[in-house]
Amino acid sequence: MKNSRLHSVWTPWLFLAPFLLSFTAFIAWPAVRSLMLAFEQTFGPRTIAFVGLTNFRFMLHDPFFWTAVGNTVLFTVAAVVTQIPAALGLALLLNRADLRGRRLFRVIFFAPSIVGLAFVAIIYSIMLEKRTGFINSSLHSLLPAWDPDFPWLDHYVMPSLILAVLWLSAGFYMVYFLAALQNVPGELLDAANIDGASPWQRFRHVTLPEIRPVLNIILLLVVTGSFQFFELPYLLYNETNGNGPDNKALTIVTYLYQTGFRSGDLGYASAIGWLLTLVLVGLALIQRRLTQKEEL
Amino acid sequence: MLKMFSPGLWIVLLMAAGSSVLIALLPIPTHPGMEMWVFDPNHAKIARFIAADWNQGHASNPVTIHLITGAAIQSRMMSGFYSDTPIADLIEVERGMIGQVFAGPVADVGFVELTGRLDRENLRTGINGPSFSPWTTRGHIFGLPHDVHPAMLLYRADLVEAAGIDVAKIETWDDYFRILRPLMQDLDGDGRVDRFLLNASPTSIYYQEVLLLQAGGRMFDEMNQPTLNEPVNARIIARLATWYAGPGHVASEITLGGASSMRLVREGYVVGLLAPDWFAGSIRTSLPDMAGKFKVMPLPAWEKGGRRTSVLGGTMLGITKAGRTPEAAWAFAKQLYLSPATAQRLYEEARIVSPIKANWPEPFYDVPDPYFCGQAIGRMYLKLAPDVPLRPSSPYYGLAQQLLNQSVSQLCAYADDHRLYNAAALEPEARRLLQEAQRQLQAQMDRNAFLRPAAR
Repeated sequence: MKNSRLHSVWTPWLFLAPFLLSFTAFIAWPAVRSLMLAFEQTFGPRTIAFVGLTNFRFMLHDPFFWTAVGNTVLFTVAAVVTQIPAALGLALLLNRADLRGRRLFRVIFFAPSIVGLAFVAIIYSIMLEKRTGFINSSLHSLLPAWDPDFPWLDHYVMPSLILAVLWLSAGFYMVYFLAALQNVPGELLDAANIDGASPWQRFRHVTLPEIRPVLNIILLLVVTGSFQFFELPYLLYNETNGNGPDNKALTIVTYLYQTGFRSGDLGYASAIGWLLTLVLVGLALIQRRLTQKEEL
Repeated sequence: MLKMFSPGLWIVLLMAAGSSVLIALLPIPTHPGMEMWVFDPNHAKIARFIAADWNQGHASNPVTIHLITGAAIQSRMMSGFYSDTPIADLIEVERGMIGQVFAGPVADVGFVELTGRLDRENLRTGINGPSFSPWTTRGHIFGLPHDVHPAMLLYRADLVEAAGIDVAKIETWDDYFRILRPLMQDLDGDGRVDRFLLNASPTSIYYQEVLLLQAGGRMFDEMNQPTLNEPVNARIIARLATWYAGPGHVASEITLGGASSMRLVREGYVVGLLAPDWFAGSIRTSLPDMAGKFKVMPLPAWEKGGRRTSVLGGTMLGITKAGRTPEAAWAFAKQLYLSPATAQRLYEEARIVSPIKANWPEPFYDVPDPYFCGQAIGRMYLKLAPDVPLRPSSPYYGLAQQLLNQSVSQLCAYADDHRLYNAAALEPEARRLLQEAQRQLQAQMDRNAFLRPAAR
């Protein structure tokens, strides 16, 4: 009886222990420590100076930080208005039963998301190169007036990044939308059809409300992913540590990385990280609020 | 007790305990003697050659050379300095890595200070003076310099000579662009220039600094204070903007590295390239088929009688405080960096000239190099070595470089917006941009509690 009680008391904890230990060691404690770091200046763990709110105050007047915020917000807005319509459009197209070869198209559109951002960065840096790059040399061959030295990556930093991520992500989110579209009850669409609804009306009043939960999730993923945008500018503009010409590619996470891991200023990097966390939590709460309102 | 848990849970627990014991018992690989981390394959080859000799005479304290990528060295090194994780006895550090090492109080720098040793052993005067500057912080030297890296101009001798141009007449940058102007041509008849005179652009982060240093400009003074807003810097970036901006720009950049960039070099997209000694060595290896088509010449000066060289890149050898035998490490460092054998191999493998003045008369520097049309480039680089400008080091070097680049980019945009392609007219805007850059740099530096005079 005693053994059995012991068994019932300890067994769940034993099973939970690996998770709890790793969660405490790798998530909870680092989070607490990074919050403490945000109020400190350090040179390694042995040389620490408590600086109070200095890191946060400096952030308010730091032009690099605000450039990074501006670029990140611009990228996020552009990502939402390009990736979601593109993914939904592709999904609607490839959901049509009468489209021949749609399985092949699904694979083709999904393929870029398998290769990852590092590959995209390499491909794009080669494609957009001046003179020898595929884009410039093709355009120059087709239109001799086109400047073969057109500086895509120097002058059109944000459009180049947006285009690269659109190519990478549209197919990925398309799969979510396809799954949602396949769950739209056929009888509802048939009923709307019989009632004389136009294709747009069917989409607006039947399809869209049915896929809205998935749309909300994708919106959240695109927004949070865009606020954490780092790898592509870092790899494309490696020579400038990811800043790009005139800091046009500098994002919040790139700045956080540079501050923490290139300059070794972990305190300021933690302050930036915590601000980013608050923004992301805020956005998630707003999104949840809006979703709940719609559901009511 | 056995019945307390189910058999399955016992199996899981036993497996966990067993694997933990096994991991704990795994021997940690240890190397007898000293370890040295190197980031460059050529440096590693030379270090292994010298280490083999050292190890014969020091069987009880041999040196093992590890070739590790630069980024990995930087993280492992900083981790070792910060948290006592395993670290080598000797580390070769590239210029871009050193800022982080110097970001804290001098007493916390993870390398052994060498100032006293260098003075006691009278080595300072025997090493090219400017080569110490990147490895010095707040007056303390922390590394033995590996190189000088004087910069010259690598140019397409085949194109220049075919056009009947005599480069001996070039003394200044103005001469260079005027005399070579006929080479800027539309080769395919589309109305656009297909050949430029210099490989540089507003986005080339390293070249602005090279040209600024050549002109006597600088980003930091000897006390590590920022000097971005000095008038000479404004004068130079205004002139750079006239090279980069506008429909008649004379410079364009090939981002060197990939196959397509090498194709452009081969095709003669640019006539001249800023070339420190290591770059001459690297182009020789990357484009062997271009032998006999390149020559080097001293950089054209900014003004008549001005400096004909600059500097780009650099490496030092540091002895870590965590090393077990710092005296032996110092002895090996001297054997590796001061020996004529190293100087010879370094030159023959990579065309890098030694910073050790005693090695400069060595005859191997006078051997004509068929790749560079028979020029004895070693001797040419060495003649310029004493003129290499100083580069005071700072933890904020990377940021200063970015701000300088940002100012050049913004000035080019301003030139294009206002259709102003005259250096004198651009200078006031250049001054304004550099003032702002200085303010931003100063603000970042002022925040560092460890660099304030009281904390030094």
